[in-house]
Amino acid sequence: MTIIRNHSKQQLQCQGQYQPSQVKALDGEGSRDIDELVHSNPGLWRGCDMAAQGLHEHSTGFAQLDAILPGRGWPNKGLVEVITPYWGMGELQLLIPLMRSIVEQGKWILWISPPYLLYAPALVQAGINTEQLLVVKLDTSCKDALWSMEKALQTENCGLVLAWQNWLPRKVLRRLQLAADTGDTLGVLFKNNDSEHSPSSTRLKIEDSWSENAGFNESEVTLIKARGNFRPLSANINLYQQA
Amino acid sequence: MEYPDSEAQLPLPTLESKPEAQITKLPTRPRTVFKNQLVDSTKSSGSAGLANKKCRARSLWYALYLPQLSNLDPSQQEKYLNQLAGLMQSVSSTVSFHPQALICEIRSSLKYFAGIDVIHQKLQLLLEEQLQQWGLLDGFLYAASPTVTGSLLLAKSGHNTLVYQKDNLRSALGGLCTDVLDLDKEQRRRLHNMGVRYLRDIWRLPSNGLCKRFGSNFVNQLNKALGKAPEPTCNYIAPPIFITSYELPYELENLDRLLPIADEILAQLCDFLRRRDLSTSHLHFSLLHEKRDHTEIHIGLRQASRSQQHLMLLLETHFNRLTIPAPVIAVRVEVKNFDAFFGHSNSLLETNSLDATHYKDSKLIQFIEELQARLGEDHVKYVSCAAQHCPEHANMQLDYRGSSKPRLKKSSAGSISRNPRPLWLLQDPVRLNINKGRLFHRRVISIISGPERIETHWWSGADVRRDYYVAKELKGSRLWIYREKGGERGWYLHGIFA
Repeated sequence: MTIIRNHSKQQLQCQGQYQPSQVKALDGEGSRDIDELVHSNPGLWRGCDMAAQGLHEHSTGFAQLDAILPGRGWPNKGLVEVITPYWGMGELQLLIPLMRSIVEQGKWILWISPPYLLYAPALVQAGINTEQLLVVKLDTSCKDALWSMEKALQTENCGLVLAWQNWLPRKVLRRLQLAADTGDTLGVLFKNNDSEHSPSSTRLKIEDSWSENAGFNESEVTLIKARGNFRPLSANINLYQQA
Repeated sequence: MEYPDSEAQLPLPTLESKPEAQITKLPTRPRTVFKNQLVDSTKSSGSAGLANKKCRARSLWYALYLPQLSNLDPSQQEKYLNQLAGLMQSVSSTVSFHPQALICEIRSSLKYFAGIDVIHQKLQLLLEEQLQQWGLLDGFLYAASPTVTGSLLLAKSGHNTLVYQKDNLRSALGGLCTDVLDLDKEQRRRLHNMGVRYLRDIWRLPSNGLCKRFGSNFVNQLNKALGKAPEPTCNYIAPPIFITSYELPYELENLDRLLPIADEILAQLCDFLRRRDLSTSHLHFSLLHEKRDHTEIHIGLRQASRSQQHLMLLLETHFNRLTIPAPVIAVRVEVKNFDAFFGHSNSLLETNSLDATHYKDSKLIQFIEELQARLGEDHVKYVSCAAQHCPEHANMQLDYRGSSKPRLKKSSAGSISRNPRPLWLLQDPVRLNINKGRLFHRRVISIISGPERIETHWWSGADVRRDYYVAKELKGSRLWIYREKGGERGWYLHGIFA
C-alpha cells in the first residue's frame, strides 16, 4: 500500500498509472483535479486524509455528516449499524435522502421486521414511492429474518436492506457483511446497543443533545467506526429538516 | 412419452432407472381415421352387421342431451360440458360439443367394450355421479345413430333410440315431432300452418320448395341428420396435465436425500413444459407415507416459470421448513394449471431498456417468491396509502399477491395531509400517564407543536375526535401523541417519528 502525503507530481508519476501528459494538464487546472483523481482510485489509501476510499455515489443529504464520513457519503456496499438507545431518535430520518435516491433508481427497499407499523403517508410526504418497498413482518422468527436479510443482500435488485435486530453474534454479522459485499448492496442494521469489535464496516450512534432545552431537531451523530477513519468523529445534525 | 391408455402398473424403478413419468394427454388422432377403417360387425349390432360389411366404415354417434343445463348461464354450461367431456373420453376419443349436449363417436370402441350396453352403463355411472355432485338432476336423454345431427334429434325427442344403419335413419327420424328441430318462432308457425307435425311430413315435401320457404339452413339440418351432408364437429381437446410419481426403493427420513429425486422429476416437468411451450405457476408435491396421510406441498409462483433451478430452489426452501410425520415412501408431482411461456430475448444490437427492466423485475419477483416460500405468504407485505382522514385507516398493509398491485394514484397522493406524520405507527395506541402535572411515557414528555384536530368516522359508531401533538421525550424519541376530545380525555401515544 502506498501512502501519498501530499499531492506532489513526482509521487503521482511513481504510481505508473498516470501518463505524464495527464499530469501536465493537471498543472493548469489546480489541485482540485488532483484531489478528484486521487479520490477516483479506491485502491489508494492516504494516511492523513480519511476520505481515501474514493467518492461514494450516495451523499447522505446532510452536509455535516458527509464531512465526517469517509468517501463523503454512504458506502456503496457493506453493513452499516445505526445505534440508538430507543427507537425513534431520527434513525430513519438519517436515511431518507438515501432511500429516496435508491427508489428513484428503480431499486427496491426491504424492511425486515420493523418494530412498529411502517406508516405509508409519512413515506409519501418524504417523497418515497411506496410501491418499491417490501416489509417482512415483525412476528417473523429471528432465524427467518436473518435468512431473508442475507438473501436480500445477495440480490442485486434490492438497493437497501433495513433490519431491526438487537443481539447478533459476531459470526452472523460477518456473514451479513460478506453477503452485502457479494451483492453490492447496502445493509443497515438498527440496534439499541453498541457492540464493540463488530465487523460491520460502519457504526453510527445517534444521541440526543444533553441539554434539556435542546430543540426538537438537534441530534448528535457519532461515527464510532468507519472504514478509512482513524478515530470517532461526531457532528450535530438537524435530522428533522424535512418535518 | 407414454399414453394414458396404458394403465398397467409401472414396474418398480431400481436405483439406476429414472422415475417413470405417467403423463396423460390427448392423443392427437386425425379425424379422417374413421373413413379408412372397415367396420367390424359385432354380435351386438345383430342383423345390421350384415349390411355394414359391404359398405365403408361409418361412425356411430352417441348423443347425450342434458335438458337440466338450460337454466344455467352459458359460461357455467360450458364449464360443466367441458368436465363431462373429460369423463366421456373414457369411452371415446372423439367428443364434440353441442348446446346442452355432448356427442361422442363409439363405433370404434364397440369391440373393446363388447357392445353399446356396456358403454352406456359405464357412461351413465360416471355422469350421474358427477351430476349429483353438482346438485343437478342426474338423468339425461341419449340416443345413437350414424349421424351427429340425427343422434342429437333422437336424443332431444327423448326416444332413447339406437339406429345402427344409415338407411334406417329416415324412418326412425320420421316419427319425431317437429319441435325437436332448431327453428325460430316464425318458422315453427309456418310449419304448423302447413299441417306439418312430424318429420315424416317434411320428407314428403320437395326440397326445392323447402329451401325457398325455410332457408338453406333448415334443409341443411335435415340433410345432415340423414347423412347427406357433411357434419363438421368441434372436438374436445383435453387440457394438458403432468402427473408423475416415484416410488422410493427404501424409506427416507432425511428430506435432503429426496432432493436429487425431486431434481430429476423437475427436469422431466421442465422438459414437458418446454415441448409444449408452456410454463407453470402451480405445483403440487405430495410425499407419501406408510399408514399416514400424505404430506402436501403446494408451490405457487407469482410469475409462471419453467426454470428447473428456480423451481428446485423453491422446493428446497419448502423442504427446509417441513417436518414430516413419517419416513417417505414415494413422491408424487401433479401440475394441472399451465400458462403460456414468455421468454426473455436479448437484443443483438442495442439493449432495450424496457426489456432490461422486465428481466430485472422477473429476477426480483423470483426473490420475493423465495421469501414467501420461506416465511409464509402473509409475512411479506407492502404498504400503501389510502385516502382516509383517520390516521390508522390511511395506511394499508397489503399482501404481495397477484400481478394487479394497486398503484398509488396521484389523487390519493395529493390527499395526504401536510401536517407531520410519523414513520412508525403503533398498532394500538398506548395510554400515557400524567405524573406531577407532566405527561410521562418512559420519561417526561414535552409538547413541541400542535394541536391538529382530526374528527372523523362519526358515521360508523367508532367516533374519532382527537387532538394530535408532536412531542419529544426528554433525551429520547420524538413522539406523536393525541388527546381524546370526548370521554375520559385521556392522552395516548400513537406514533414515533423515527
